[in-house]
Amino acid sequence: MKKMVAVVALSLLGLAACGGTGSTGGSAVPPGDAQPAASDLLAKAPVADPAAIPPGSTMDKIRKRGELIVGGSLDAPLLSQQNPATGQVEGFDADLGKALAKYIIGEPKVKIVNSASETREALLANGTVDVVFQTYTITPERAEQVSFAGPYYVSGLSIAVKKGTTGIARPQDLNGKKVIAGANTPAIPAIKKVAPQAEIITFGSDPECVQALKQDRGVAYVQDETLLVANAKKDPAIQVVGNPFTQDPYGIGLKHGDEQFKAFVNDWLKKIQAAGVWQQAWKNSLGTVVQGEAPAPPQIGSVPGS
Amino acid sequence: MSALLDHLPELWQGLLVTLQLTVASFAGAAVAGTVITALRVSPVAVLRLLGTAYVETFQNLPLLVLLVLAFFGLPEIGIKAEPLTTAIVVIALYEAAYVAEALRSGVNAVARGQGEAARALGLTFGQSLRHVILPQALRTVVQPLGNIFIATTMNTALAGAVSVVELTTAANRVNLVEAQPIPIFVGAGLAYALIAACAGFVTGRLERRLVMVR
Amino acid sequence: MSLLFDEPGPRARRRIRIATVAGTLAALALTALAIRQFGANGQLATERWEPYATWPMWRYLLTGLWSTALAAVATAALSMALGLLLALGRLSDRRWVRAPSAAYVEVVRVVPALLLVYVVLFALPRYGLDLPLFWKLVVPLTVSNAAAFAEIFRAGILSVERGQSEAGLAVGLTRAQTMRLIVLPQAARRVLPSIVSQSVGLLKDTSLGFVVSYGELLYSGRVLANYNGLLIQTFVVVALIYLAVNASLSKLARTLERRSAARA
Repeated sequence: MKKMVAVVALSLLGLAACGGTGSTGGSAVPPGDAQPAASDLLAKAPVADPAAIPPGSTMDKIRKRGELIVGGSLDAPLLSQQNPATGQVEGFDADLGKALAKYIIGEPKVKIVNSASETREALLANGTVDVVFQTYTITPERAEQVSFAGPYYVSGLSIAVKKGTTGIARPQDLNGKKVIAGANTPAIPAIKKVAPQAEIITFGSDPECVQALKQDRGVAYVQDETLLVANAKKDPAIQVVGNPFTQDPYGIGLKHGDEQFKAFVNDWLKKIQAAGVWQQAWKNSLGTVVQGEAPAPPQIGSVPGS
Repeated sequence: MSALLDHLPELWQGLLVTLQLTVASFAGAAVAGTVITALRVSPVAVLRLLGTAYVETFQNLPLLVLLVLAFFGLPEIGIKAEPLTTAIVVIALYEAAYVAEALRSGVNAVARGQGEAARALGLTFGQSLRHVILPQALRTVVQPLGNIFIATTMNTALAGAVSVVELTTAANRVNLVEAQPIPIFVGAGLAYALIAACAGFVTGRLERRLVMVR
Repeated sequence: MSLLFDEPGPRARRRIRIATVAGTLAALALTALAIRQFGANGQLATERWEPYATWPMWRYLLTGLWSTALAAVATAALSMALGLLLALGRLSDRRWVRAPSAAYVEVVRVVPALLLVYVVLFALPRYGLDLPLFWKLVVPLTVSNAAAFAEIFRAGILSVERGQSEAGLAVGLTRAQTMRLIVLPQAARRVLPSIVSQSVGLLKDTSLGFVVSYGELLYSGRVLANYNGLLIQTFVVVALIYLAVNASLSKLARTLERRSAARA
């Protein structure tokens, strides 16, 4: 018995030692979106007037708990990506979540519950999470199960190809070709709609899709435009063609029927947009790959289902 | 229920791919596993070491990691194949480690006198392995090999990670469109059970035919 | 080993030497070629490996490994308990206990674990049962591994000689007492190696955690690759960690096997 414990312990020690000796190499943290501006952003973020939080409301419960529980991702670059070096979750969605926490509690305290996109409705319904910030496209069908605040951002799907590829300029050009998409992403139904004859091949994550594109497993990769722009910026072998061919308004998912909370969150959105916090969050994340100034935020309640 | 019937062609296609993956990779595993067993019982120490290293490596890595690594890594060393081919080869190599392990215990179970008799007759190592030891070893491992076949069937479900649309992936895609998980997944489960039941039936028959009563 | 060949004579020794040299050369040549090609494609560039010489990356992966261990231990404990019950159920002399236990084992044994994960992930939430992330991984793996453990335990119990339980009954123990005091302790010792190797399989199964986005080792690897874009390097490192951990466990299984063989 002792011997086997020793074997396991030794192997773990060995692993730890490998890492330990390596760490003398210094702080070679991989290039990411370092954001000194993040704390700046949160300093600017407003705090709610206590009168706006009546006792017994959802906001009141969150404030008493001292923590906002957000349903989100850890692996969505620019939106909600965990930084392995710090353990912090960074990106546009993540920053807005923190700002909302500060608005309610006074401090940007959030706990991110990593949720697979298929279970978000259930997580909201049974109260596991307070809000969902996770590229949650507002649709009338979904609005029957959850309430949406916002939209707070409008994105769209685009097409990326290997540099030098010809013959793909519009979504319809994908017909009859092999097209790469992330497994379980909205790109799959979208491709089926615009190019029914396309053969869709799927991979589990964004870097796998990029690698597959570079290895000619497919001629095009359909994904959210900002992600593609970020990939093209990192990797000169990839280019984005044309403009987004869909319009996906992202909303903040809330428990169905909680009108009081929805009005409160919409109020907050207006406030951070007026205060420039929204624009700053965009600049810190999506703005690092997209050129130009922050776009005008979408009109709240402007899409069916919101 | 209608979700299942509407998408029958896609699911059927997925089932065909699953069968293709299973049969081809099990055949490959049987061949590779036999070769590795030969290495592991050979008189050459280096070959024994290689055989053991192979079994150790492939038994201790998750198939999923192997699949992704091979799919994206092999093109980087100049070997690029279709996703289906890659999946078949990787699953075959992975299951070969288990086949080799089963065969080795089979070889060990062959009575000592058999090997000695073969050598007394003047057979070489290769001959005694091929004509005397392996045929007997195979008989004692019909049941374990049947289990490996079933495990292979289950493991083909992971080929979805490298873009092969087999039964589980097909079912998942249909579910994404229809959102009717229960009938779709139960249907897929039944299909797997059917494959396994066939395998069980065949191994049962084989065993009755081949197993020697001692 | 001596089963298949005699003490080699001079000619055989020469042949063995040739095979040794050829085998070594072939293995080395293949490895060298692969590494050269790999390097030619720029995959060996220092900056592609540098992140894995830093502590934060390893800390992140080891945290993932810890989550893998937690999931594996929980799954192992639960599925062994359930497996033991199923094994006893299958050996019961009451039909209504025997039949469902046998049915469970036979059905679950032939359903892919991934399919079970999908059921827990997609199907159960629609019926109001949305488990926490950890359990979304542990529950389907437990369901599937319990069947395997049941078969291991059943084989162990059946391998204990009849005389043992007959003797137990003869001295006036009840059936339950005989099972608990005489048969199970002996069976447990015999199946220990199989239990450890099944546990290695189970640990490998936890890599399905990436499907439910539970932060185990493979999922952590994916988050890392997402962050630094080093897909192949990350997977190589993750594979090496799995190899180190599982090889230790397998070694343990062999040690146990040898020890129980020595005792018997």
